[in-house]
Amino acid sequence: MNQAVKGPGDLIREVLEQNQCTVCGLCVGMCPYIKTVSQKVAIIHSCGLKEGNCYKACPRTGINLPELDDMVFGQERKDQALGFNRGIYFARATDTAITQAAQYGGVTTALMAFAVDQGMVSGAALSGGTSLSPRPVIARTAREVISCAGSKYTAVPTLTALNKAVGEGLQCVGVVGRPCQIAAVRKGQALSRTDPSARIPASRAGLVIGLFCFWSLGFDFYRYLEEKAGGDEIVKVDIPVEGLAVTTAKGTGVWPVDEIRPYIREVCNTCADCTSEWADVSVGSTEYDPAWNTLVVRSDAGQSLVNRALEKAVIEIKPYPEERLKILRKAALNKKMRVLQNLDRPGPEYLTVPAEYLSEIKQQWEELQS
Amino acid sequence: MSIFGVGLDQPGRSVLLTGNEAVARGAIEAGVAFAACYPGSPTAEVLPTLAQLGEKFNIYTEFSTNEKVAIEAAAAASFAGLRSLTICKVDGFNVALDFATAISLSGNKGGMVIMVGDDPNAHSSIKEEDCRFLARTASLPLLEPATVMEAKEITKFAFELSEKIMLPVVVRCTTRICHASGDVKLGELPTAEKKASLTRDQKFVTTPLFSQFMKSKIKNAADMAECSPFNYYTGPENAEKIVIACGPSYNYALEAVEILGLKDSVGVLKISTTWPLPENLILRYLKSAREVVFVEEIDSFLEDGVMTLAAKYWDEVGKVKFYGKNSGHVASPKGPFAGELDPDVVTGCLGKIFNAHYESPGLPNIKEARDLLNNNLPGRELALCAGCPHRASYWAIKTAVELDGRNAIVLGDIGCYSLGLVRTGYSLLQSVHCMGAGIGIASGLGKLDRFQFKQPVIAVLGDSTFYHAAPQALINARYNQSSMLCIILDNETTAMTGHQPHPGRGISATGQPLGKVEIEAILAGMGIPVTVHDPYDVEGTTEVVYKILQETGPRALVLRRACALMAVKGRKKNRVYVDQDKCIGDDCGCARFCSRVFACPANIWDAQRGRASIDEAVCNGCGVCASLCPQQAIVVERTV
Amino acid sequence: MSNMFVLFKPLNVIVTGVGGQGNVLASQVLAAAAIEAGYRVSVGETFGASQRGGSVMSHVRISRDRTCGPLIPKGGAHLIVGFEPLETLRILMDYGNPETVVVMNDRPNYPIGCLLGEEKYPEPDLIIKAINKLVVKIHVLPATDLAREAGNAMAANMVLTGALSGCSLLPFDSRFFTGVIDTLFSGDVRALNMKAFEKGRETVQG
Repeated sequence: MNQAVKGPGDLIREVLEQNQCTVCGLCVGMCPYIKTVSQKVAIIHSCGLKEGNCYKACPRTGINLPELDDMVFGQERKDQALGFNRGIYFARATDTAITQAAQYGGVTTALMAFAVDQGMVSGAALSGGTSLSPRPVIARTAREVISCAGSKYTAVPTLTALNKAVGEGLQCVGVVGRPCQIAAVRKGQALSRTDPSARIPASRAGLVIGLFCFWSLGFDFYRYLEEKAGGDEIVKVDIPVEGLAVTTAKGTGVWPVDEIRPYIREVCNTCADCTSEWADVSVGSTEYDPAWNTLVVRSDAGQSLVNRALEKAVIEIKPYPEERLKILRKAALNKKMRVLQNLDRPGPEYLTVPAEYLSEIKQQWEELQS
Repeated sequence: MSIFGVGLDQPGRSVLLTGNEAVARGAIEAGVAFAACYPGSPTAEVLPTLAQLGEKFNIYTEFSTNEKVAIEAAAAASFAGLRSLTICKVDGFNVALDFATAISLSGNKGGMVIMVGDDPNAHSSIKEEDCRFLARTASLPLLEPATVMEAKEITKFAFELSEKIMLPVVVRCTTRICHASGDVKLGELPTAEKKASLTRDQKFVTTPLFSQFMKSKIKNAADMAECSPFNYYTGPENAEKIVIACGPSYNYALEAVEILGLKDSVGVLKISTTWPLPENLILRYLKSAREVVFVEEIDSFLEDGVMTLAAKYWDEVGKVKFYGKNSGHVASPKGPFAGELDPDVVTGCLGKIFNAHYESPGLPNIKEARDLLNNNLPGRELALCAGCPHRASYWAIKTAVELDGRNAIVLGDIGCYSLGLVRTGYSLLQSVHCMGAGIGIASGLGKLDRFQFKQPVIAVLGDSTFYHAAPQALINARYNQSSMLCIILDNETTAMTGHQPHPGRGISATGQPLGKVEIEAILAGMGIPVTVHDPYDVEGTTEVVYKILQETGPRALVLRRACALMAVKGRKKNRVYVDQDKCIGDDCGCARFCSRVFACPANIWDAQRGRASIDEAVCNGCGVCASLCPQQAIVVERTV
Repeated sequence: MSNMFVLFKPLNVIVTGVGGQGNVLASQVLAAAAIEAGYRVSVGETFGASQRGGSVMSHVRISRDRTCGPLIPKGGAHLIVGFEPLETLRILMDYGNPETVVVMNDRPNYPIGCLLGEEKYPEPDLIIKAINKLVVKIHVLPATDLAREAGNAMAANMVLTGALSGCSLLPFDSRFFTGVIDTLFSGDVRALNMKAFEKGRETVQG
């Protein structure tokens, strides 16, 4: 990590002005000087400090992969495609109320609602709202968690809700986030371990559920979406392999995926983590069976959450088909290879990938090609 | 000081009145029936005084939407034979001037007085303007009282003069009259019935054909000025050195002559009929004088008039040396044409001119005292009041503008919120000119897109200013489809001049319910989309401002929340305090946001503890700081 | 009580503080009391635009026989009543002379520059020391606390009015003040202000 004294001025120069802000929301609300609106983050007033947690905790000012691996899992990863994990499953929620509202198998919603219900966390920072105006939400009950079900596809600054919840006195806050947000939470936790006096709300994060994310869409996507819905209320938005599917009361329309490519945010092109590698559990689609999710169990805490959820039959799981796992790993490694190629060229260098990791990535990539 | 004094029926008794109250009392003694005004400092308190006594003395009072409407309404009463008064500050007289230049041709009937407040040193104004030039342009006689007592007498006389010469008369009061107070000997109260009458054959027509007639009226006024009891001379006979002074400066001059020990050699001529001038009276003293000093406020009006006179009668006057603003000899520390005079300035000027020396008693140990404090005496700049909704609005607008990132231009206007020019309003405003000018400028900037001007344009103005001057500019913006956002900071009153009501309050000058004239309805009628929000909800306001900023065309946002001073009147305030355990003070995550950045006067800093604190004597209990505190360390105990 | 100078020259009193502290009312009560006692009075007020946060100063000139100008010449104040330490010292430096009597509230009101941390408000004790170097007589009183004891912190202005009436400089006695307070207010507010006035008066007379 960065040794030099760096703060908000550096955050502006190295991240905000370079279009490298992921709009994770971590720095927003940590102090009164950083604000966000419509997927924009800005420092609205100089706080005057040279050194700042905003810079130190930002997921785009440097990530030390082995250090985070060690902090979260107590060991380094073997799998360079999906990161450290204890098991990968097909999973789905058993409650039909959840599966109907949720994107695929409803595992994210079911697990977080369960964690809140069981008091494993005192609340959760989530992305709620509608497809056209998603927003960060603090959910304090299982019902509130369920009302946030459904993928958002745009960059919601969810971690502002984490900061707010901690400010409101919640002690152990669950988080559901994109990979960049999970990395931010873990960076924040690492920071408060090395400097206990630093006031990092992320240090009060409890269970962390990470989402699969290959890219997120920019703010202009809403206008596009509005156009496609033709003024009708949008019930559901999905981006399966076939393209963009928008469901209104009148039915579902599908548009080719190429149409939404222009809305992919520039910052996502330099992200090497598409499965939330430092989450307690990660959840994504299966790209195969829309009734199920992919569930990656990573940490001890994640394992015990899944165990308890299975015990109470909140979710059900089945083995991950070998050929599907290969496809998933290929997709994740493919993204890493592309990003690392980008990193060879001059540009943002938030990733410090150690040489051994690099060679393992290349080696595992080769293995998958065969 | 009290309505009690202004309304007393005890002729001969001395009571304490402010200059504004003295003018009101003079009008009452003169039997005024109709008074209309748009409030402006320093004359804002005249109409409220009359309004409170309106029932007792049968006077109609109104706050008009602007000074032009007010003068026209007052003229109407005059046309109907009633005595009428309109009150404004000089900036407002500019607004009324179009009508003023017309009525001098048409003439009036009932005595009509225009009280104009000039504000030397711009204590409560953005510029220093001299209304005497405007009175001359409009061909209306002008009188200037020198004391609070004289303000009453001159006002009363002005009504009589107006009826005699059939022209409205201007009474010029500077801030040092309006806001001063003194003992005023009360006169008789009128007994005559006030009855309006305007027959079909009475005409009030403006035509250039009457200009000669108008000039002869002014000549009449000048003749009357010759023997006016308000002009007088004190000093030696046939003095070679004289001071000609008017307004409160007269007393400065008297005191200066006394302090300098020049009483036996220097005479002081006080002129209250500044326009038209009493030529013969002045000539009498000019003839013996070899050195003449002019002591007057703002501009060289008296000086120019007397010098023109001396040129006209050069053969009688002979060789005279003139000292004044033009020569640079009479000047405030800010210069001859800026700032204001006081006894020290005048003593200094006269001392130099007449070569007399004076040193004030002073403090022998002042250096020691200064050293003790390391010469540290922090200055006091103006700040929006504790709990002011404008502060919340400005923080939200600033946040939205920064988030928007396109360098939005923010234009200002006239009101408390003009403080948006300085730090208390985060130095957000880039222009301030005159009432309504922000919208006019915005309407122009909003049409510059064809010249690659892409920045968003915001005009900020208050509710009272909205009614006064915004509609024309907004109609223009709508008609020409100018891309601009008009933000109305609606604190439901005319706060700056002392909480006078306006059409949006829906109550009259006397407090009677009249029904509101809604800002939203006016804007909707123009076809300008309008949103209303509460600025105390800073986060929500920021979102709304940001959202509207992304749109194009003319659009409006009303940020509505009652003035904090008005809101707490007669009510128990919320208690606000800082949880010392939660406050993180100087640390990253706050860095003293509330006291150092948000800078409400109630958010103070406890340097010893290194924690924020609330000055409960100052705090108005709005709780906005609590909503912005990143550690949620500020607690609001609501009273209800 | 020396009344001699009042016969020839005005008695010059300055009431100073920060907008919103109620100092204008204090000067008006003093002026009205003087008129009731048969004097001629001129009061000059200096206050700024929004009337809050800026310095506010009233010049009260009391004379037996003439109408004075509304402003006191530099060095010419006989009595300075300060609602706040910093403003008291500032005004004293301009308008005081070694004979000037100072009556002062000990509670600071911080200028925005001090709140912003760019400037430091001098220690009130240091201000009192500095004033002691300049003049012979200073009465410091906790006017805000006394007002709170009387029932409301905002009545500090009446505490200070009581104090100025009690410091033996005026040529007329305190019943003229209480007479004015009596006509100005009614009910609970009158009782509160009377109580505050008396507290100030007692404190100075000690």
